[in-house]
Amino acid sequence: MTGSAAQVQSVSPLSRVFGLGSVFAKTLRDSRRATLLVGGLVGLLVIAVSAGIMSQFSTPEARDEIGNIVNAVPPILAGLAGKPVNVETLGGYLQYKYGGFLPLVTGLWSIMALAGTLAGESRRGSLDLVAAAPISRRRVAVEKAGGHLLMLAVAMLVIGISTAIAGSAFAALPGDEIPPGAAFSFALWLGLMAVAAGSLAFALAPFVGRGSAAGVAGGVMLGGFLLNGYQEAIPQLAPFANLTWWGWTADHIPLAGQFDTVSLAIVAIVSLALLAIGVEAFARRDLGASTAIPGPRLPRAMLGLRGPVGRAASERFPTGLSWGVGLGLFGLIIAGSGASFIEQIGESPEFERVLGSLFPGIDIGTVGGFLQLVFIEFGLVMAGLAAAGLVGGWASDERSGRLEMLLSAPVARRWWPLSGGVGVLAAIVALVIVTATGIAIGAATAGGDVWTPVLGTAAIGLYAAAMAGVGIAVGGLIGPAFAAPTVVALTLTTWLVDLVGGDLGIPDWIHQLALSTHMGQPMVGVWDATGIVACLVLAAGGLAIGTLAFTRRDLRS
Amino acid sequence: MTVPVIHTEQLTKSYGEHRGIIEVDLDVQPGEAFGFLGPNGAGKTTTIRTLLDHIRPTGGKAFVFGIQTTADPVAIHRRLGYLPGEFVLYDKLTGGQTLEYFANLRGGVDQAYQAALVDRLDLDPSRKYKEYSKGNKQKVGLIVALQHRPDLLILDEPTSGLDPLVQQQFFALIGEAKVEGRTVFMSSHVLSEVEKTCTRVAIIRDGRLVRVDSVEALRDMAHHQVELRFAGPAPAAEFEGLPGVSELVAEDGLIRMRVAGAIAPIVRAAARHELVDFVSREPSLEETFLAEYGTKKTAGPAEVAR
Repeated sequence: MTGSAAQVQSVSPLSRVFGLGSVFAKTLRDSRRATLLVGGLVGLLVIAVSAGIMSQFSTPEARDEIGNIVNAVPPILAGLAGKPVNVETLGGYLQYKYGGFLPLVTGLWSIMALAGTLAGESRRGSLDLVAAAPISRRRVAVEKAGGHLLMLAVAMLVIGISTAIAGSAFAALPGDEIPPGAAFSFALWLGLMAVAAGSLAFALAPFVGRGSAAGVAGGVMLGGFLLNGYQEAIPQLAPFANLTWWGWTADHIPLAGQFDTVSLAIVAIVSLALLAIGVEAFARRDLGASTAIPGPRLPRAMLGLRGPVGRAASERFPTGLSWGVGLGLFGLIIAGSGASFIEQIGESPEFERVLGSLFPGIDIGTVGGFLQLVFIEFGLVMAGLAAAGLVGGWASDERSGRLEMLLSAPVARRWWPLSGGVGVLAAIVALVIVTATGIAIGAATAGGDVWTPVLGTAAIGLYAAAMAGVGIAVGGLIGPAFAAPTVVALTLTTWLVDLVGGDLGIPDWIHQLALSTHMGQPMVGVWDATGIVACLVLAAGGLAIGTLAFTRRDLRS
Repeated sequence: MTVPVIHTEQLTKSYGEHRGIIEVDLDVQPGEAFGFLGPNGAGKTTTIRTLLDHIRPTGGKAFVFGIQTTADPVAIHRRLGYLPGEFVLYDKLTGGQTLEYFANLRGGVDQAYQAALVDRLDLDPSRKYKEYSKGNKQKVGLIVALQHRPDLLILDEPTSGLDPLVQQQFFALIGEAKVEGRTVFMSSHVLSEVEKTCTRVAIIRDGRLVRVDSVEALRDMAHHQVELRFAGPAPAAEFEGLPGVSELVAEDGLIRMRVAGAIAPIVRAAARHELVDFVSREPSLEETFLAEYGTKKTAGPAEVAR
């Protein structure tokens, strides 16, 4: 009863590997942009940063100075950087300064890809059709995961080659050369760190759905990163720090010539086990069935059913609250460790002198000072990403088609962006209040000044509001699909400029374009009026532009 | 003895506290066009997804082509075409690329037949999926289900969103599938479209099958609403005792009654009097279905007939 075999056009071998010939091939096709972006971006970053480092620190004296400064940093402050091993060499410095952050970038990609590859499709219904094809569910899952792993390997290959090129092209002093083996071992480590995070999301997604799986895996990745960074300064964290892949591979510093291959094997085995759990769970469970993880829920009276402003606020509130809880916990831990910081600063006059030159006229040896050094940069990045999440929620009204119904009610069009914007801002206020509460508890525990850092938390809110304003303006002007991605891109670009700007020798005027440069030192009570005004203008102006533009354009989905 | 294309035994699916389907017994024979009717939320989609092994039964068994659904779903999927009730495909692919992808997942399809389907359903395959209207998205799903000429078509609310002209094409395609001896299992809550397409029907309500019968037999459930107007007083007593008469109401010279089965005895009795007007209206099958199953709570096993 099937069509005659002569008329059936068979699937070409090439399209089975890349294209639309198989689930695997389509996964590769769908991942091509992300692969180019991650592989290209990180690869270029390694080359550019290496060139920058070598131009700034080309003499043995400069290298000694780097070594002295890095070794003078007390453990409590060294948290977010890597272990200082052979930092006088190009590879050692690269891994010390950037080795901790790069796995966050690759890990985020892997989490988003592996959390959504099955659960996302399942949620929207396309997987019902794919699963009705004559392919077993195990094979679908294996092909999807395999596709991502291959593209991740390609990206890591690019990063490995870039690192080897950087190590060979920019080596200026003995020990600077990065052997290809070390470069690819670094890339392998980056890839495995990403796979570990992604495979956790992949294993959880069939049970709890895409969003929750990504949230949990992201939380474990970030939590592991922070715990591992601070375990030396706060020994109580050590037992938890060694529960994740960050702790397992802490001694694998290939660019500095220190290898721990066994730890990589452990990460690989655990990742494979998690991937196998994900495959089996997908094969055995009902398609699309997941259990929601209980999160902050609002009582009925606060659902905002009376009008657009209340509804928008109540829609965004749980997201703001969740981000606030995460940031508040981090703030609590950092502020709570303030006493150790003050003690260690006192024990290191050399570092106290360095800090004094970096922050003239400011007493940085306080809980607020510690928060300024450790919390604020990370807090601003998280605030930007929170703003992206909130703007994404706002834009989903239009993207999902819900707005077609909402605007068929006798409500003026301008009310949607305005009320949505107010909802986003209300959620940011909730985020700030919860974060400030965590910081207040931590600061009080450490016995320092509570009010200065609590008020300083407002900087996080101002920054988030500004980013949200940009997102709403873009959503109104260009369309809802661009709103959240623009905020994510702006946040990460700003962070990268802060992170690598110095080593890259970026002109000061470019650095001054980054909003984070103008936030002052709010945790020690030093505010920058330019930054405050810029944030307020971006927040209010963005909302106004978004509203005006939205009232003049067609609805999009 | 012929193996049924679809066979379920006490098939049950529950979602914790929520009802899914309860002890569904069903047989669909090869070459049959089978309608699966029920109100929204009755359990149609749950039954279908269980047949596809997209969800697993919590009790009972289901077989398709004689293969237990949980044992070898791939072998079943190889021979079926499926249209889900709700689906969203890939926004960034065009309609043509979407069809190509699903064709490839089956190892390729007859390109000429695929092109003919695109032509008959009037689909522009060059547009991106996200740009399609609801009806055009449904057309893409229909072609995905039909393009490999499956032995069994499982269609969940297939005409949803299609305009009347395309619906006609769809019914023609189903007709051709029947002529070619393929089996069609089609869910709907619109009785008239099942009436056009199917030979047998199952009715599900509150998760339980309440009736499995031929469309003809369902038609026999239909009754006439008869209205007689006489020149003199209405002779109500003469009609009350007649077979099939119920709900009789008499007012002055007017009699209204519900008549199930043959209407000839009514005509003969009326002819004995001076009749001014005779009106007989046959309700649609849909009205009959609603009258019979729309509000009545179900209990006990389904009434099954062949």
